[in-house]
Amino acid sequence: MLVVELMLKLDNVEVKYLDAVLALKGVSLEVADGAVFAVLGGNGAGKTTLLKSISGILHTDEGEVTSGGIYFDDYRLDKLPPEDIVKLGIVQVMEGRRVLEHLGTEQNLLAGAHLRSDRAGVKRDLEKVYNYFPKLKALKRQSAGYLSGGEQQMLVVGRALIARPKIMLLDEPSLGLAPLIAREIFDVFKRLNEEESITILLVEQNVNAALSIARYGYVLETGRVVLKGTSSELLINEDVKEFYLGLSLSGKRRSYHDVKHYKRRKRWLG
Amino acid sequence: MIYFAQYVCSGILLGLLYSMVALGLTVVYRSGRIINLAQGELVIVGGFLIWWFIVMTPLPQWWMGIIIAFALMGLLGLVIERAFFRPLIGQPIFSLVMMTIGLLLLLRGVVIATFGAKERPFPQIFSAEPVVLGPFSFDSALFWGGIIALLIVLALAWFFERTKYGLRFSAVAEDHQVAQSMGISVKQSVAVAWVLATILGGFASIVFFNGKIVTFLASEIGFRALPVALLAGLESVRGVLVAGIIVGIGEMLAMGYLNPITNGGMANIFPYIVMIVVVLFKPQGLYGWRVIERV
Ligand SMILES: Nc1ncnc2c1ncn2[C@@H]1O[C@H](COP(=O)(O)OP(=O)(O)OP(=O)(O)O)[C@@H](O)[C@H]1O
Ligand SMILES: [Mg+2]
Repeated sequence: MLVVELMLKLDNVEVKYLDAVLALKGVSLEVADGAVFAVLGGNGAGKTTLLKSISGILHTDEGEVTSGGIYFDDYRLDKLPPEDIVKLGIVQVMEGRRVLEHLGTEQNLLAGAHLRSDRAGVKRDLEKVYNYFPKLKALKRQSAGYLSGGEQQMLVVGRALIARPKIMLLDEPSLGLAPLIAREIFDVFKRLNEEESITILLVEQNVNAALSIARYGYVLETGRVVLKGTSSELLINEDVKEFYLGLSLSGKRRSYHDVKHYKRRKRWLG
Repeated sequence: MIYFAQYVCSGILLGLLYSMVALGLTVVYRSGRIINLAQGELVIVGGFLIWWFIVMTPLPQWWMGIIIAFALMGLLGLVIERAFFRPLIGQPIFSLVMMTIGLLLLLRGVVIATFGAKERPFPQIFSAEPVVLGPFSFDSALFWGGIIALLIVLALAWFFERTKYGLRFSAVAEDHQVAQSMGISVKQSVAVAWVLATILGGFASIVFFNGKIVTFLASEIGFRALPVALLAGLESVRGVLVAGIIVGIGEMLAMGYLNPITNGGMANIFPYIVMIVVVLFKPQGLYGWRVIERV
């Protein structure tokens, strides 16, 4: 059960893009202190929108929280600019390995520490990043644009880590990575959660990987939370198996047509 | 031979002055992909303000006039960003460039309306005596101005690349959205870029107008610096030194060897020839950012 100290709370959040596209239709979600939480869902479900609404960078896409509220401790996040949200300790690692291409690896990391004034601490944390991701150390003078996909993913996570976040919002970190590298990175997430007590909100389509490190998960579909539960509950849930793990009861993948039909008929409940 | 060497040395100094103006273009471009066609006007405004506060007001010391003028220039940078460019966030580049043309005309109008048609002798801040080094002699304003330009460019490059605060500006130059996700205020960075551009305009005006008459004709230096910024690569801070020196030397050599056979036109158009060649054959310039495509 999840009766830990509550940290981040979305209450019936509705998000619109361009005053027209309704991307989140009343999402409520709670993230407790100190655990890994997964948000699962297919393409276009609203996962990225969810993270951007928390980190405040939604407005760069002409998106807006039109009703509901996002709360973190005593703050109302949906009223704050992104720089204040980062200062509160919430850092988003965006989808697509967005490194600062023309800066070096180490410069990327140091840029992540721009809000900190404790030189010695930054130096220590730089070593910490290299300790979690030893590959980066050898590449510290390399232009970030020339790193491999896996290295870039490590770099953006490291860049977030060096900001000393309380919560990391990770958007599809395994996307486009070889399974082995993805595994390696997920192991680091687990360690970050345990060793650095960083709370993690992890958006993934790779359900197995995500639920293997998450304590609790939410399933998002077309802007709504349609299912939630502990990881073990979700892993044995027939619907999750069917849609996200691609296994039907008979062990066969269903055709897209069947799935669509099924989706329309079925009312999801949390 | 001595002539050739003198042309080259004077070209370097002229080029460093271009670098200083081009740096104003570069910092603003990096902040938000704005090519500021009004940079030359910022030099003019600087010139008028400094002239006004040193020559026309009874301040006890000349340097007080410079400080006040620079403070007002910085303020102007903030106003420009807030009033003209912040409302355009998210608009196409075309609108931004059109806005800089509007800014150019507006600044010119405001300066005329404010200062009127007076005789405007700019104070002699650098000595009228040339600086003599061995067989060469240099205009002292260009000489000291060149050294100042060199120091400013290197200091800013160091700042953007090596300091935590400066890396914010580099992050903004790369990607506004990523910068915001890292907790960097893009608005603040753009505003600071404009302040830097106006201050650089102030520096350039001192070097350019020293002991001369303040006129609008000088605004052409904004256009002459454009090829320098392009040749450097619009994102490159350090590159403006190399590019400025190349353009400056080229212009002085054209003046020495080609002007006599082209009725004096060649030196004037030399920077623009560079501009056309760069745009045609090397749009990223020498050190500009290429889109990185990994295999
Ligand atoms: N900038 C935007 N302007 C308009 N609509 C948008 C914008 N960004 C996203 N949307 C819409 O909002 C919905 C949710 O998109 P979102 O990017 O949050 O999905 P996602 O779950 O992250 O998908 P994916 O797994 O493909 O990344 C989609 O229908 C999408 O078309
Ligand atoms: Mg997404």
